[in-house]
Amino acid sequence: MGSQTQSKADQPWRRWIAERTPQLILVPTIGATLIYVVGFSLWTFWLSLSTSTILPDPTFAGFHEYVALWKSKRWIVSFQNLFLFGSLYVAGALFVGTLLAILIDQRVRFEAVWRTIYLYPLAISFIVTGTVWRWIFHPQTGVELALKDLGWIGAKFDWITDRDLAIYVVVITGIWHASGFAMALILAGLRAVDGDLVKAAQIDGASMARTYRKVILPVIWPIFLAVAIVLLQFAIKTYDLVVALTQGGPGVSTTVPAIVVYDLMFQRGQIAQGAAAAVMILVALAAVLIPYTLFMIWRRRQEGNQHG
Amino acid sequence: MADVIAHHEFDPLSTGSPRRRILSKSAVYALLIVFAVCYLLPLLIIFLNTLRPLQEIVRTGFIAWPHEVSAQYWGEAWGSFCIGGTCEGVSRFFKNSLMMAIPATVFSTAIGLVNGYILSKWRFRGADALFGLVTLGVFLPAQMTLLPWAFVLGKLGLSNSIAGLVLIHTVQGISFTTLFCRNYFLNVPDDLIKAARIDGAGFWRIFRRIILPLSPPIIIVTVIWQFTGIWNEFLFGAVFTSGDHQPITSAIVAFSGSGTGERHYNVEAAAVIMAALPPLFIYLVGGKYFVRGLTQGAVK
Amino acid sequence: MEQTRKTLQTVAVATLALGISAMALHAEPKTNMMHQWAQGSEAAAIAKLGEMFEAAGGKWEQTAISGHTSNTLAKLRSDVVAGTAPAAVQLKGPEIAEWNATGQTANLDALATSEGWDAVVAPELISVMKPTGHWVAAPMNIHRVNWLYSSKKILTDLGIEVPKTWDDFNAACEKVMAAGKICLAHGAADWSDTTTFDSVVYGMDMDLYRKAFQEADTKAMRSQGMIDAFAQLRKMVGYMDSGINGRSWEQSMAMTMDGDAAFFIMGDWTVASANLAGYKEDVDYLCNQTPVNWGGTGYILNADSVVFFNQKDPDYVDGQQLLAKIIMSPEFQTTFNVAKGSIPSRTDVDLSTGGFTKCQQKSQVDLKNSVNEGTLVRSMAHNMTVLQKYRGAMMEVITEFVADPSITPEQGANQLADAVEVQQ
Repeated sequence: MGSQTQSKADQPWRRWIAERTPQLILVPTIGATLIYVVGFSLWTFWLSLSTSTILPDPTFAGFHEYVALWKSKRWIVSFQNLFLFGSLYVAGALFVGTLLAILIDQRVRFEAVWRTIYLYPLAISFIVTGTVWRWIFHPQTGVELALKDLGWIGAKFDWITDRDLAIYVVVITGIWHASGFAMALILAGLRAVDGDLVKAAQIDGASMARTYRKVILPVIWPIFLAVAIVLLQFAIKTYDLVVALTQGGPGVSTTVPAIVVYDLMFQRGQIAQGAAAAVMILVALAAVLIPYTLFMIWRRRQEGNQHG
Repeated sequence: MADVIAHHEFDPLSTGSPRRRILSKSAVYALLIVFAVCYLLPLLIIFLNTLRPLQEIVRTGFIAWPHEVSAQYWGEAWGSFCIGGTCEGVSRFFKNSLMMAIPATVFSTAIGLVNGYILSKWRFRGADALFGLVTLGVFLPAQMTLLPWAFVLGKLGLSNSIAGLVLIHTVQGISFTTLFCRNYFLNVPDDLIKAARIDGAGFWRIFRRIILPLSPPIIIVTVIWQFTGIWNEFLFGAVFTSGDHQPITSAIVAFSGSGTGERHYNVEAAAVIMAALPPLFIYLVGGKYFVRGLTQGAVK
Repeated sequence: MEQTRKTLQTVAVATLALGISAMALHAEPKTNMMHQWAQGSEAAAIAKLGEMFEAAGGKWEQTAISGHTSNTLAKLRSDVVAGTAPAAVQLKGPEIAEWNATGQTANLDALATSEGWDAVVAPELISVMKPTGHWVAAPMNIHRVNWLYSSKKILTDLGIEVPKTWDDFNAACEKVMAAGKICLAHGAADWSDTTTFDSVVYGMDMDLYRKAFQEADTKAMRSQGMIDAFAQLRKMVGYMDSGINGRSWEQSMAMTMDGDAAFFIMGDWTVASANLAGYKEDVDYLCNQTPVNWGGTGYILNADSVVFFNQKDPDYVDGQQLLAKIIMSPEFQTTFNVAKGSIPSRTDVDLSTGGFTKCQQKSQVDLKNSVNEGTLVRSMAHNMTVLQKYRGAMMEVITEFVADPSITPEQGANQLADAVEVQQ
């Protein structure tokens, strides 16, 4: 096929096409992305300024839905939760994932078995994850009951019923689901570290903990960043997990923005306000992604300077 | 590039006295076991509840050893429980999920491979900006995209069809697959491509001869990632299909009832395990390659 | 395809052979009903509706949307946006009026007149089904929201009467608590917290209930009566145990019927669930109206109904008429409501036969009495009164009040009014 292309390549239009094959092949992707990412976002933004109620209605109304949104306690709580849950979930999954990866990295037997056990939660849907952990966390069906049955009458483990602690239940469940993913990436990263580097550290008499902390982990930091970005999108989209685990309660204490968007748009027939909430999620996303992008560009420049 | 794992000679625990070595080894295993219990416990709890009669569950809670054991709930969940008006269990939804997840996984992976190849090896002005835009698609909350998707599907005449779901999951999946594949192909030395071009190889020839043979690890990653994600998604499944076309996750949600109906926890638990089997199976089979491919793909 | 062609051929041959006109054959009523009763006995009840529809010569299809009501509404909106509005959909309360205002709903006046619906449907329900004076929805049932389930065992052991007023209730709870039992079984969620609060406000001041919860009057929400109601709710939270969060209503039901808790406030779907779990009326539990301070019969009503969207295909238009007729038939209303724990939306169905429980029979008698006494109201918690945006805002405040003991009754009442005013 390649040689055919070559022999006919003198015809100008064929050459034009041959030169631009990559761009032409990308056309469907570009089209889909423009519609999906740009189009859907702009459409949502427009709806947030419109008079839409139970159905989309393009009549312009102004910013008052944003005002109403920010007067709602539930929304403010959910927006705070996005940052609280997001940061703890990402950090926690990275921490547990690193710990598991280091443990598995100790030349343990049955490595595949351990790895599979820690990785399997990723295959379980959020709804199921949330439901089962609700059973476990609830004082009358779960751990507390089991401890009491074992004879520890004063046992107390009721975080899920405490409005200040319930969000941490969501965090723990999220970490259970995602830490295997972090483990998988970090483990592979550990394995890719240059052996000489490690040997040198050992010859210098560095302890194991020190070797990991000072030599190995710093080398694989790009992996942490990659894991963090993938987990971040889970955090922002978190919906089914919370619905199944706490239904956003006690009260509104564990509500997350995606729940508010869905409730406003579909349960309550306030499409404009729901769209405003969705736009705020995108703003929060931008607050994280723009610094990240700038940092990456800066880093690439630095590298370029070093090489050149 | 496929055998990063082999060269590792470092055994961190080989330092210190023999007694200390044994001690730290046992500490490692103890920790591994503690974590393993935490990770397996939920699965065990679901499994035990598949065997218990409903009355027992309602009366004694979810975390209890079964007194009466019966396998009948598995049968009910698979073949006779009433969901959505037909009493055929979840078996028929299984087929829908396969018909949705397999094509969407194949399409999004194939497109992602080519996109990744272009964006890493045939860079043009604006390629990075385009890549950034495609990647942004990863972050859009599904709730926000429901209504615009409804509009698009309506215009295309794909409402209430599995084809519509395949389209949605393909478009949304491209974001992820392009991200993974592009980063993975960045590791392929540019000299390799340059040499091939000097030899007169064209776009597709380089793809077939150089890129594809290097791709199995990243293909496995995207396939696992996409399949699991699509299989477990329920919102689009519930909203954009009707009746007989619903995927299995929507059927699972059906077990949670309407709020005012009673819940069959044991049948629900059995159905949950059934619904989780395909992704679990894929993880069991592909887990090893998943780890390997992910590192090479997602880093940078 | 092949199947269709063969069928068509067969039909064509049959038509010719029998000499029936093609027009008559064309007129096969069809429907596709969208609803949220996706599983279990509710799904079975809907399957029965399908059977009756087919037996009457129609072609039945259904779309059961799983899970929470918002999924059904999401599906409905998506379908309307996509230009494929469903022929029939389960909708309730003020949403009937909202969708009616879009001009997309079908008019059932002719059928209602010929079937005499105005004479047999409960009056509080008629205004919801006829938002602008025209029938646009067919009611399937009447749920009673203000049921107080009591544990027979605890009441007998402690010698407590079923409380008639909220003061009685508080006194009973003090006794139960003193005996070391849980007084009020509850599973916290916005809808269940609000279900309880419905009964509290209604039982303490019926006019306040009408103003605040049916007309969304924010002045009434700030009144002393509402503050008192919140104070009563605060007391009742004290009568609950510490495990209310994350508990399902079925678990709360079981607590009461097993004799671990004295009382449980919930709608009549509890009856269906209790019977299924093997609990016996008058043995494990008693059902009575929730306390009212003003004497007389209290009844807070909730109803499921079906709304019909305009269709182009005449077969579907015929199907809508047929479906509405079947839904309103005493036969369907019996089957459906025996399974749901509710009672027929027609007041003329005899509940002494067909498998209705005593609680259901009591519900029908009380409904008639409350209509006569002028005490019948619709449930705010179950989306029968104000627009969802007000209801949602109020539910947020009420569920927060239950969850957060630091909120005072005065703050609760003001927050309730504030939350509604923001949405106005």
